Amino acid sequence: MIFSRLYSVRKVFLVSLIGILISLCLNPHVASAAIGCTLTNPAQDLRFVFPDMTSYKEDVVTFSSLANGEYQFKELESRIGRETDPVFDRIDTPYTVYSIFRGAEKIGIVHGVNIPGKGGVIQLFLSVDPSTRGIRQIFFQRLESPASKLFRDKPFRIQFEGLSLADWYMHDYYREKDPSNSRHKIAQIHPPKDLSEESLIDYYAIMQGVRKNLVILDLLLFQRASDQYFLRAQERLNEPTGVRPKEGS
Amino acid sequence: MDFHRHILAFATLAGKNLLRRVVRTSLAVTGVALAVAVAVSLAGFVKGYHGAITRSIDMLGFQVMVMAKGCPYEAATMMLKGGTGLLYLPDSIYTNVATDTGVASITPVFIGVAEKEQTSIQDDGAGSFIVVSGIEVPSFTTMKPWLSFQTGTGFDGGRWFTTDTEVTKEAPENIKQEVVLGYEVAEYEQRKVGDTIALTITPSGAVSSETHEYTVAGILSRTGTQDDGTVFMPLSSAQRIFNRPSQITVVGVKLKEFSSQAIRQFEERWISLPEVQIVGLQQVKSTLLNLISTAQAMIGAVAVIAIVVAIIGVINTILMSIHERTGEIGIMKAIGASRSDIFELIWYETLALCLLGGLAGIIVAYGGSGIIEFMLRHLIELGVQGEIVVISPGIIGLSLGGTVLVGFFAGLYPAWRASSMRPLEAIRAGE
Repeated sequence: MIFSRLYSVRKVFLVSLIGILISLCLNPHVASAAIGCTLTNPAQDLRFVFPDMTSYKEDVVTFSSLANGEYQFKELESRIGRETDPVFDRIDTPYTVYSIFRGAEKIGIVHGVNIPGKGGVIQLFLSVDPSTRGIRQIFFQRLESPASKLFRDKPFRIQFEGLSLADWYMHDYYREKDPSNSRHKIAQIHPPKDLSEESLIDYYAIMQGVRKNLVILDLLLFQRASDQYFLRAQERLNEPTGVRPKEGS
Repeated sequence: MDFHRHILAFATLAGKNLLRRVVRTSLAVTGVALAVAVAVSLAGFVKGYHGAITRSIDMLGFQVMVMAKGCPYEAATMMLKGGTGLLYLPDSIYTNVATDTGVASITPVFIGVAEKEQTSIQDDGAGSFIVVSGIEVPSFTTMKPWLSFQTGTGFDGGRWFTTDTEVTKEAPENIKQEVVLGYEVAEYEQRKVGDTIALTITPSGAVSSETHEYTVAGILSRTGTQDDGTVFMPLSSAQRIFNRPSQITVVGVKLKEFSSQAIRQFEERWISLPEVQIVGLQQVKSTLLNLISTAQAMIGAVAVIAIVVAIIGVINTILMSIHERTGEIGIMKAIGASRSDIFELIWYETLALCLLGGLAGIIVAYGGSGIIEFMLRHLIELGVQGEIVVISPGIIGLSLGGTVLVGFFAGLYPAWRASSMRPLEAIRAGE
């Protein structure tokens, strides 16, 4: 009898304690400093990209939330070919991945990244085919550049359609740029006509942004499906210059 | 010692009685908890919002603002949010007001709006804007001594832009196009010290906009005010790019003596100028507080009704409990329990209900304050920054004390009714 009463008291105490802890956790006064890249109006924007969509799902992923987050973050740096920005590209930067559905079928993925442009941030979104992992379309949400219109115009954006991360890794492989080589697709991308010299910075930022966007998707979503191309390119880059295979071989 | 033991024995008995009807007791406690949660949240909002308004106004640095005539509400919004649709004054007003003997410090400010590119992936996306302030650094920083530069990776080496005096010495082609960014602008545009930032401005009288590029000379630390969302540049640069030479938007003033009387006297001295209005901070503060007082009164009335309903619920619960235990109370009295013993017992039961409800309500209000703040900020444009729901230890103590007081009075009638029962009649009625 005494034991059962003690048990009840303990149960009440535990339940109260859990209640207090939950209520304290619900008090969200602490905000993350890292800034992600999300669509301003997801429902309308995604319908603009996928007119036949019926629903979408939003997942927020950070490298810090992964089991081997720090290692993966280092891998990100090696795959984008440069160090990440220590202020704005951090291990706790949230990446929002939108999965688009038509009925039960997943018809697309949309993901955006921030890239510092010359006059301000560039928010670059890719819509990606989930089966081929190739780019369907690229979009700019924010693009503060005198050449903003040129970059937003279809003739520039259309050059990226169908490209995948493998093409970027192959771009590293074919270090000598040769636009006549049809397998070297990245070398065939051109800046918009009439682009001023000073806006080239934004062009290179966009090129880096597309690669970074695809690398993040590959690491966070596609289980490194394009890694074979990356490893091949690395092997070649480490070879002495004289023994490099001929382009296109 | 005996007294403590006596209280403990009665409290234990009261607790056991309440646990005999767990569902009923829980419902009564929930009623009290909800009422207390509403009251505590409201008190936290009133305290937090008043504090936020006071902080926002204090952080402006100006005690009085001289600005072009217009709606006082627009003036209040402009002071707190750096609003748009601005009116301008000739800068001779600044020179004149600076001669006032009551002025401790004074600074001219030019406010303009830079357009930003569209913020949508769709072709017809709307653009946004950034507030640009043209300032004179020495007088502006005298007004706002807390402004400091952000340090750390990407921010080190921050400084104010080249001052107006230095600019005028240079040939126009050598003028350094520099700006200082507020913390949020830097974060939003992902700019670091030494980066460039593009500002698109439509000069006064022009039909098309011009894009200017500036080097970021420094990034300010977060202040929690409208300064975080502002791009600062030299006053003369702002006047030049907006094509408003010799014009300013606001003259910020700090008086030697800050009192209603001093502000009134200052106003009387300068209100005769045809194009200006004098806006004192007290005036802005009261304007903003008046705007929310009606809403607060309505929510307060809801809280009072909730408390009254909860008290009725508690009294009803205890009366039902007494009714069920009529025979038991009769037996207790028959075997020696005094009238005061019964009174005390029932009273403790009421107090326990109210105290439990009060504690639960406070926990719910404290835990939910972040959610309430989040919802308020997303539903209403409050015009202030910083915490707007502040549940302080004082509010918690007052609520708990209030709950005990309510329990004290709510328990009087049921306790009196139970203690007034005659033993034999009660035993018979309970059979």
